[in-house]
Amino acid sequence: MPTTLADIEDMIARIALGDRNAFSALHDATSAKLFGTCLRILKDRAIAEDVLQVIYMKVWRHADRYASNGTSPMTWLITIARNSAIDRLRRIRATAEIGAEPDENLPASGPTPEQAAIARSEAGKITECLDELEPDRAGAVRGAHLDGLSYADLAQRHAVPLNTMRTWLRRSLQSLRECMAQ
Amino acid sequence: MTDPPLSPDLPDDRQLAAEYVLRLLPPDQHATFEARLEAEPALRAQVAEWTTRLAGMNAEFPDIAPRTAVKSALRTRMFGTEARRRRPSLLQRLGLWQGLSFASLALAGVMAWQLAQPPAPTTPAPLYVSEITAEDQSLWLLAVYDSGTAELRLTRTDGSAPAGRVLELWGIKGDNAPVSLGVLPDAGASSVVLPDPLRGSVTDLVLAITDVPLGGAPGGNPTGSVLAVGHGDRTVTRHTTKKGGPAAHPFECLIKRRRPRTPAAAPRAPCDPARH
Repeated sequence: MPTTLADIEDMIARIALGDRNAFSALHDATSAKLFGTCLRILKDRAIAEDVLQVIYMKVWRHADRYASNGTSPMTWLITIARNSAIDRLRRIRATAEIGAEPDENLPASGPTPEQAAIARSEAGKITECLDELEPDRAGAVRGAHLDGLSYADLAQRHAVPLNTMRTWLRRSLQSLRECMAQ
Repeated sequence: MTDPPLSPDLPDDRQLAAEYVLRLLPPDQHATFEARLEAEPALRAQVAEWTTRLAGMNAEFPDIAPRTAVKSALRTRMFGTEARRRRPSLLQRLGLWQGLSFASLALAGVMAWQLAQPPAPTTPAPLYVSEITAEDQSLWLLAVYDSGTAELRLTRTDGSAPAGRVLELWGIKGDNAPVSLGVLPDAGASSVVLPDPLRGSVTDLVLAITDVPLGGAPGGNPTGSVLAVGHGDRTVTRHTTKKGGPAAHPFECLIKRRRPRTPAAAPRAPCDPARH
């Protein structure tokens, strides 16, 4: 895709001024990534489509907040997408009282070799640093970030007590931070 | 369940920020943390740090294109249905003008110009001629106003609306809000009788064209947020933005107005944000 981060930043700036053409262009340039994000977390196409619309409405409304946000434009967009998808996931669970049974349809928690390669090249150190963790700890961090799993979900998935999972996660995050600071 | 003691070696706020970014905090703590964010820049910096730190994993989110219908649904949801109102009655094609070539139009323009010179006693009410062009010349209209009948005749000589959009004509008198003069037909000529407030001296009348969803500007009202300066549908015509080039101005208003009697008149900026 020829669209650069600078292009996306430019689109967001124009959206903040109410430019619908820029909004349309941003949608075309980024909707595949954001939809993939929703689908990974929600695992339901219809719900993901609805959340995708909510995401772009948020982008339209809050584009003026981007400048002071301190992250790259794609990170900003994916964060909105991820948070919106997770919020929806939790709401669905709360109303449907499904409880913590997210595991059945989950894809493998690890990346494919290709994804890992992309992640390594694009993302700098985090993949490397995740690799330094115990595989199940790294899997828990990935599950939280990529699948939007809660502590309870993760505890169930990894068959450990909730408090153990909390400790795992916190230690893992601390290790990640130290590793990435090197 | 009881919370375990906080990990001794991870400072509390940093840990909270990480858990906040991952959406791991229980709802009440999440809300508390969010409230603190408003007031604490240092905490916001922690959140930004963790967001960036963890963003490397985002590469594992796949690219999956959504159905195109999703985008149309979004547009409808945000900007209204596209077939809400058409106002063809405001602008009807004028048979006489259809099929006129550009050459004959140019001639008509010259004649109109001559008619606009100091009127002889036998001269009918003055005609005024104006061009409406986009800066990038992607749209070009000739407007002739007959002050006797208050009829504005428009002939599009070049350009068209982007797919799925229509061109809406606006009249702006002095510092007043723009008045919609209706949606232009897809091609050729049309005419509209100017409403009272726009009549009289038309030398300070500015004509602007915006591209809007099918059916006209949402709300149909030239005032209010729909037409707030900078909104994309104020765009006069298609932009010719180049990727990587300078940012396109989100709107480009008018354009050129030739005054029959005062050729030195300075062009004005009808869509100057300060005016709205």
